[in-house]
Amino acid sequence: MGSSGAPKPSTSILATLQATTMVDTKPVFPAEILVAILEYLPVPDLLRFARTSRRMREMVYDDTRWVARLKSMGVWDEAAARKRFEDAVKRKRQISASAGAGRGIQAGSTGGGAIGAGAAAAAQSPVAAANRESLLFDAGLEEERRRQHEIQLQQQRQAMAEMRDGFETMKVGGIPPQNNPIRDVDALLNIIKNVKSVRGHAREEYGKVYGALAPFYFDLVKAKSHTDPLVFKVFRDPDRQAMMLTNLKTFSKSDWADGCQQRQEKLDSMAGIFEAAVLREFEQGYEFWDVDGRMNKYAHVLHILNGSTAGVDLFIQKHPIFADKEVLANSMDCVNQAMADEITLEPSRRFFEVLTRKVNEQSGIIERIFPNPGKVFWQLVDKIREDIIIEYVTPLFDETHERSIPSYLRAVSGIFEQTMMYFRTLTPPKDSEVDQEAQAKEMALKIFEPHLDLYLQDEIDDFTARAEKEVEEWDKKLSEQDAHAESFYMASFGNRQADKRDFLTSFKKVVMMPVTVLPTSFSLPLGSPFASSKPAATVATATGTLTPNPPTSRSQTPVPSAVNDRGGNPVPGKAPTDELAAKAALMTSRLEGIKSLFSIEVALSLVHGAKASLGRVALFIQLGGQAGGEAREQAEAIFVALLRILGNKHVKPGFDLAVTHLSQYNPREVNEHEKGGVAPLVTFIELVNVGDLISQMIDVFYEQQLAGPKIVDRNDFLDPAGLAKKKFEQMLDESVAAGLNKGIDVLMDEVEYVCATTQLPTDYNPGGVTAPDSIIPGMPIPGMEKAAPKPQQGAVDMDIGPSKTALRVRDLVASHTSMLVGSTDKSMLDVFNGEVGLRLFTAVCKHLKRQRISTEGAIKLIADMTLYFEYIRTLKNQDLLAYFKALRELSQIYLIDAKHAKEMATIIADGDRFGGIFRAEEVYEYAERRADWYQVRKDVERAMYGLECSVM
Amino acid sequence: MIISSIKMTSDQTPTQIRLASNDNVVVTVDRVVAERSVLIKNLIEDLGDEAVAGTPIPLPNVNHAVLQKVVEWCEHHRNDVAQSGDDDNDNRKKTTDIEEWDQKFMQVDQEMLFEIILAANYMDIKALLDVGCKTVANMIKGKSPEEIRKTFNITNDFTPEEEEQIRRENEWAEDR
Repeated sequence: MGSSGAPKPSTSILATLQATTMVDTKPVFPAEILVAILEYLPVPDLLRFARTSRRMREMVYDDTRWVARLKSMGVWDEAAARKRFEDAVKRKRQISASAGAGRGIQAGSTGGGAIGAGAAAAAQSPVAAANRESLLFDAGLEEERRRQHEIQLQQQRQAMAEMRDGFETMKVGGIPPQNNPIRDVDALLNIIKNVKSVRGHAREEYGKVYGALAPFYFDLVKAKSHTDPLVFKVFRDPDRQAMMLTNLKTFSKSDWADGCQQRQEKLDSMAGIFEAAVLREFEQGYEFWDVDGRMNKYAHVLHILNGSTAGVDLFIQKHPIFADKEVLANSMDCVNQAMADEITLEPSRRFFEVLTRKVNEQSGIIERIFPNPGKVFWQLVDKIREDIIIEYVTPLFDETHERSIPSYLRAVSGIFEQTMMYFRTLTPPKDSEVDQEAQAKEMALKIFEPHLDLYLQDEIDDFTARAEKEVEEWDKKLSEQDAHAESFYMASFGNRQADKRDFLTSFKKVVMMPVTVLPTSFSLPLGSPFASSKPAATVATATGTLTPNPPTSRSQTPVPSAVNDRGGNPVPGKAPTDELAAKAALMTSRLEGIKSLFSIEVALSLVHGAKASLGRVALFIQLGGQAGGEAREQAEAIFVALLRILGNKHVKPGFDLAVTHLSQYNPREVNEHEKGGVAPLVTFIELVNVGDLISQMIDVFYEQQLAGPKIVDRNDFLDPAGLAKKKFEQMLDESVAAGLNKGIDVLMDEVEYVCATTQLPTDYNPGGVTAPDSIIPGMPIPGMEKAAPKPQQGAVDMDIGPSKTALRVRDLVASHTSMLVGSTDKSMLDVFNGEVGLRLFTAVCKHLKRQRISTEGAIKLIADMTLYFEYIRTLKNQDLLAYFKALRELSQIYLIDAKHAKEMATIIADGDRFGGIFRAEEVYEYAERRADWYQVRKDVERAMYGLECSVM
Repeated sequence: MIISSIKMTSDQTPTQIRLASNDNVVVTVDRVVAERSVLIKNLIEDLGDEAVAGTPIPLPNVNHAVLQKVVEWCEHHRNDVAQSGDDDNDNRKKTTDIEEWDQKFMQVDQEMLFEIILAANYMDIKALLDVGCKTVANMIKGKSPEEIRKTFNITNDFTPEEEEQIRRENEWAEDR
């Protein structure tokens, strides 16, 4: 509407009149509305508005208004501004405190101080210049403004001329013919960078930017074609053009007046045209592989313009590496070059090797081309990951998964390792601030994430299946074997602990070896000796030799060397795996007796399987995060599965069987007693030994594989792996305890049997037996006892050593107890020994009561008792020793001649003599076993009970 | 029809609001239209439906002509999405063009324009106020300080030297 427009100056008096009336009625806007209006004004109008009155000036000059514009360009640093302000306040206080001399321009000087401090803080422009600038602010600004104005005028004029003259003259006009053009141009280029954040001076700062950029900005907006804009004429260098365009883009953000959107679109489209042109140049350079020339130059231009995303994208998209025949290998080679159901990772290793080399070459090239090589490099690597590595890896995994799970497992973990290796050996450009390790993990995770769940599940399934199959096969073999006559034991009792230690050292060596060195198939190193050794070893051990003769049975394993210098390293350079296999075979041969119960080789092979699986899974733990956590859980799960299968399916049934054997043992039904051991008990004790060995193996395995590499926390008592281990050990202990309980019974049965069957009546009563075949030695004919000592027997018994029976009993007990040494818990062993001793004592007492002992025989008896006593002393159990001491004392009552019945009575009644073990009545009972009891009885009783006897 | 009106009365929810200008003219508008004004909206909420149904809402700062203009605008914008209250944060956001209908609507004499702005301010109709301010801003564009003074009835309290000083200070913004 016409009336809304400004009244024209040259109007009639009527119009003027109308205007005056309007003034009267015109409402005055409140400040808030004025502010809202100002918000929508373009900058020049805004400043003209400031000239209308003081109040308006105040409103327009309000610092926040200008700070907002600086902020919109992203150049206002609130922290710096606050620091400047505080510095200024501090200085002001100092000045007012120290000087006090109020000069007229104090305000000016403090302002100058503030600016100076700010400049110093920024450490950019010289302090003096800053001071000058702020002290003489108006003049300085004026000067600069005028200069710029001149430049602009000049430029505009030239631009006009150029438009007329055409393209060629542009070059001349391109360099502003100023007294110091370079500085001015640089100032223009850096105008935004040089903005300072000073409170109260935001308007001036914005003014500088506006003065420099607005002419270009509005010119560009008005331009009809891409050759028109001043920017492209003033600056010929694409570098600077890009910088200016970036500046303008930033500047446009502070333009929010009416129509700003169109202006911005225009600017964007111009920038787009410029970018496309630059990109074209870059692409041409790319085609000619002009790395240091055009590519470098235009990559920098693009970087200035917009972080060079387009250039980088182009570079990566069209990168020759993605079509490189040498790199693009066929992953099927890994399958095809291997034997059936196997996989070889050699082709993939070569693939990664080539890739690493190529990518590292690119690293150098990228460094030459791009201003931000680190980012570009990783972008390229990421693209390679996506297009090359995943393409390589995925079909391989799919294929192997279909063909055979074990090779799939090997492929996944092997290629994972190679991938990690690849990412780690990349040499990114120097400026790369990216953490390569983290980057490697992230990339590897991206590659393997889709496979990881399946892989981990397959890994544990595979392990469980294999382990179960192993155990089952062994069971089956065993049941076939069962038809054969059970051939027992015979272990070399001597050096058990040394053997075990030796075995464990080998085991440790193997466990510590990297998983890739191991033949990962379960049965490779360990299963074979077992299978073949069985029949032959039976033969070997059946001969009862102390040293087994493994070479006859295992020609394919290097047992001889292991046997010959056991303890030292067999042959230098021989893989510990073989050594371990040999040792395992050796152990097996020694432990032939328990082969029907469980096998250390099976255990070893299970542990190996677990180690292989675990080693593969453990690789993924380094990924960290969720994937790493899952891998860790799976590793523990494998360990738990190992213990479950080994414990519940293998060791436990073995123990149960052994205990059953034990409980069924009846010495009377066994006709071989010559071998110095109770067969099932020996078997059982061997079992305890092996169980202990397995337990130690598991412990070593746990330490090396789980606790060592920090897969599990040893102190976390809720950790499933730790719990499983404890449960396993507990199961072992319980089995051992249950077995030992039975074992003692069996041992004592045997002792009693030996006593009953081998003790000759003449042993303790050399002269007393008239009828050697008399079954009850306790009922001799009293009259004949002393009368007819047999000279030959007397001669034989002149040997005062212990009787054969005692020796055999002693050996029997001693050999069994000594077998346990070192194989089980010390406290359990003590309990066992104590129990054995006590039971032995009871057995001996019982045995003694069945004998008839003459004074001559007493010597032998004493010798026997001393023998037992000496043996018990080796057990180092004081309580137990007391019993046998008493027994020894007791045996002396038989030595007393019949004439000294009184003394005998004294001894019988002397409780102290037997340490409280025997009461007088008991001793009396034993005294009844004297061969001449009926002769001495009266005297003894008389001595003991006095009157009683007289009555009798 | 009848049923619905009964319903309305029983619910005490008037669909129509009566507004009284300072020259005692009552204008009846739909409630949604009236509630474009935050002032009226809050008033209805505070006083309750009953009170509003009975008596017209007085608008002592707005005369009939202006009120009609304002109502006209509100009618046209009755279905606009209500602006969120936290606009203050980004009031520096880019100015959008005035839409065509609003441009036409604002083609009134300057006095009326200013009255509308004041009314919009008083009645708290933000969108209308924005349109008004933009229109004024466009009006100011390219004007000399003297012309601006006239438009806004501003008294010049600068000396010529002072004014010249300000001009020089901000010369960077001129001459484009």
